Amino acid sequence: MNLSFILNGEDVSIRARTGDRLSDLLRDGFGLLGLQSDCRCGRCGRCLVFLDGELVPSCLLPAFRVRGCEIVTIEGFALTDEYHDILDGFAEARVETCGFCESGKIMAVGALLERKTRPSPDEILEQLSSVSCRCTDPVTMIAAVQAAAELRARRLYRRARQ
Amino acid sequence: MGAEAGGRPCLTDFRAEGMIYALALRSPAARGSILSIRFPRLPSGYRAVLPADIPGQNRLVCFGAEFPVLAAERVSYAGEPVALIAGPDPLLLEELVAGSVVECEAEEPRLSWESFSSEQVAAKRVAVVGDPDLAFSIASVTREDSFTSGALEHYYSEPQGAAAAYDYDKMGIWCATQWPYHVRDSVALALGCKAEEVSVRPTRLGVHLDGKLWYPSLLACQAAVASVACSRPVKILLSREEDFLYTPKRARSSVSVRSALDPAGNLAAMDVRIALGIGAYGPLAEEIVSQAVLAATGAYSCPNLRVEGYAVKTDTVPSGAFGGLGASHSFFAVEAHANRLASLLGEDPIDWKSRNVLRKGSSLLTGEALREAVPYQAITERLAASSDFRRKYACYELVRKRRSGASDRPLRGIGLAFAYQGAGPFLSGDASNSYTVEATLDKELRLLLRTSAAASGGGVIEIWKRSAAAILGIEADKVSVAEPQTGEVPNSGPSTLSRNVTVVNRLVERACQAIQKRRFRDPLPLTARSLYRVPRPIRWEEGRVSGSPFDTAAWAGAVVELELDEWSLEPRPLGAWLCVDGGQVVSPERAASSLRSGMADALGSCLLERMECASPGSPGTEYFRYGLQSLRELPALEVEFLPAAKGAPVKGIGELPFDALPAAFLSALSQASGAALSRLPVPAAELIRALETS
Repeated sequence: MNLSFILNGEDVSIRARTGDRLSDLLRDGFGLLGLQSDCRCGRCGRCLVFLDGELVPSCLLPAFRVRGCEIVTIEGFALTDEYHDILDGFAEARVETCGFCESGKIMAVGALLERKTRPSPDEILEQLSSVSCRCTDPVTMIAAVQAAAELRARRLYRRARQ
Repeated sequence: MGAEAGGRPCLTDFRAEGMIYALALRSPAARGSILSIRFPRLPSGYRAVLPADIPGQNRLVCFGAEFPVLAAERVSYAGEPVALIAGPDPLLLEELVAGSVVECEAEEPRLSWESFSSEQVAAKRVAVVGDPDLAFSIASVTREDSFTSGALEHYYSEPQGAAAAYDYDKMGIWCATQWPYHVRDSVALALGCKAEEVSVRPTRLGVHLDGKLWYPSLLACQAAVASVACSRPVKILLSREEDFLYTPKRARSSVSVRSALDPAGNLAAMDVRIALGIGAYGPLAEEIVSQAVLAATGAYSCPNLRVEGYAVKTDTVPSGAFGGLGASHSFFAVEAHANRLASLLGEDPIDWKSRNVLRKGSSLLTGEALREAVPYQAITERLAASSDFRRKYACYELVRKRRSGASDRPLRGIGLAFAYQGAGPFLSGDASNSYTVEATLDKELRLLLRTSAAASGGGVIEIWKRSAAAILGIEADKVSVAEPQTGEVPNSGPSTLSRNVTVVNRLVERACQAIQKRRFRDPLPLTARSLYRVPRPIRWEEGRVSGSPFDTAAWAGAVVELELDEWSLEPRPLGAWLCVDGGQVVSPERAASSLRSGMADALGSCLLERMECASPGSPGTEYFRYGLQSLRELPALEVEFLPAAKGAPVKGIGELPFDALPAAFLSALSQASGAALSRLPVPAAELIRALETS
């Protein structure tokens, strides 16, 4: 079947099989290797993407489900200011990840900061629980997300004043 | 490209021109003989790879244990690979494997490791000190406890896998491994070629918890054999579910500890029996049982001892290391037992342990005197202050003793445990003699370190850089670490969590010191190699053990406080504290963060990580039940370091949360429920029964 949708801001079209998952389509069809298709049951959070603005695990989505939708992967999110706020927040708190779960964590934090300007530690941990990895230190992650929220708020304030 | 974390690509992203995939066909029986293998009609471009296709030897050697690359006649665990199907489409491969039939003549599998026959014993270690029988016969108080630990899934960052492709005249292997030279030698054996004709390029490793010591070698052999058979680059990457079901887990254990106390309440004798279920074939059997036996008395001094350790083979997946190699089983048992002894005597565990803890000069199980002071007082004082242990322990003991029924609330408890992480070479096998590091200082005063241990990546590389920079008086960013490709870097042995920080770091320091000595005498560039020699190797002889169990040790105490949920009785941790004497901590923030991750994992193993891995018929649901601890359910995690003495060495500390936290958790849970519990995690039904009977 032919699928047309918006991927990272561009109109795309691709041929997919009925059994294809969105994660496979993005990795194998479009070469977007920023997301990992790891647990294939929606638990590890390494394949998170935005589907029409909603954070979803792409390994659980059948490819045909995205027809006509807008998908943003970590590669697309990396073009936004929000991504850089989070990256700077992670650097400020000296977050060290194993290198496999980072994109999932960034996407999860991106979704959180979109709906909560200054999330509480509980809200941060709740959100990051969607990314399962043995490398996570909750204390550093709270500091990192709070730093990212602060940077984001400052940036938005500066923009509002211009 | 450097060897720093994140610098190397991951295997998942590995691609090569014309690459195909291979999927294993697995044994349905846990034990038996293979009668036949039937494949469906394979489409063009797909082929089956059988043991007969292995050009070299169908065996993999690890620490003296041997097992087949593909099982040819007999199978030893359910899910053991018996053949491969290789082809370009992974989805079609899944269908072809599902349509294949492996017919076996099944035999009754041996699943128990607690009671076992002599033919199941892969390794046995016995150590006797003094006269334990006499000491038990005259003791005023004796107590016996038994503890069991289940298997644990490493849940490493990336499932196991390997890719193989000819690169000019060499077989190139890409895999995430802790031991690149073992991969190289294993592949050479399977292909029947010289070791130099195989080149291993480690991919990004991530968190591994010692789960990628030898298994990547098996997959690398399979990928290499398939690559030769199909004349194409081949990648094998297990799915997370396959990985969960068929790759090594933490060994299961059953430890019984019997202690005799003198009239003053001090340890007079101990009798410890350890049985470790190591699954099929028993790779690492000797190492794990040796480590477990040497840690059998924990951090305590006891004049009369008998310790027996058995590594028991079962017809389940080969199991072994998990955040260390065996010591954590012993610490779990002996610390929980020590807390019960203190409770029996009506003492605060801090005080009882203080009287019995090892001191500088105390005799170890090997007869060797402990060379360093044990910072027990400093650690427990800090822990007591930060967690308010003494007051809470006394209160909860009072509540426990006065409890009149199962409905009495609150159900709270607090536990403390003390442990060490000994760091040194491997105690068995030939790996102990293979630690080498090379360093080159060039004319621009840039230092290049070469070691295969760099395959681990991560924070340890920062430690090496800082150590080297400090000795040579150069900036840390002038130090780089070479890509750990075999043939390009020397063999630095298996890189485990603790050895990279202690043994390899010391080799880095020695190589730099050698350069520093020659630096103003000889022209640059200068290269120096340092080789590790085991000072006094461990020897086991008829009940006696001698040698140095470790070079240096990091010490830690942990406290866990918890309460049982009023309605569901699920344990809910209220706080966890860890105080560590890690010698010179190069980057305290980084180390604390890494320890907190370890604490979260250790708490997860106490609360919900449970796998039976004994019922080959029903593996499907277990994968979906098993999960890591949710971050939002974690308590506050506090880490504190003791200030290092001047000139203190850098010590490995990554295993300490797994050594200390579970025993503290079990003691807290036992206090809260009023029952002498013996395993973790405890199912709610068992807790309800325990509360009703306590």
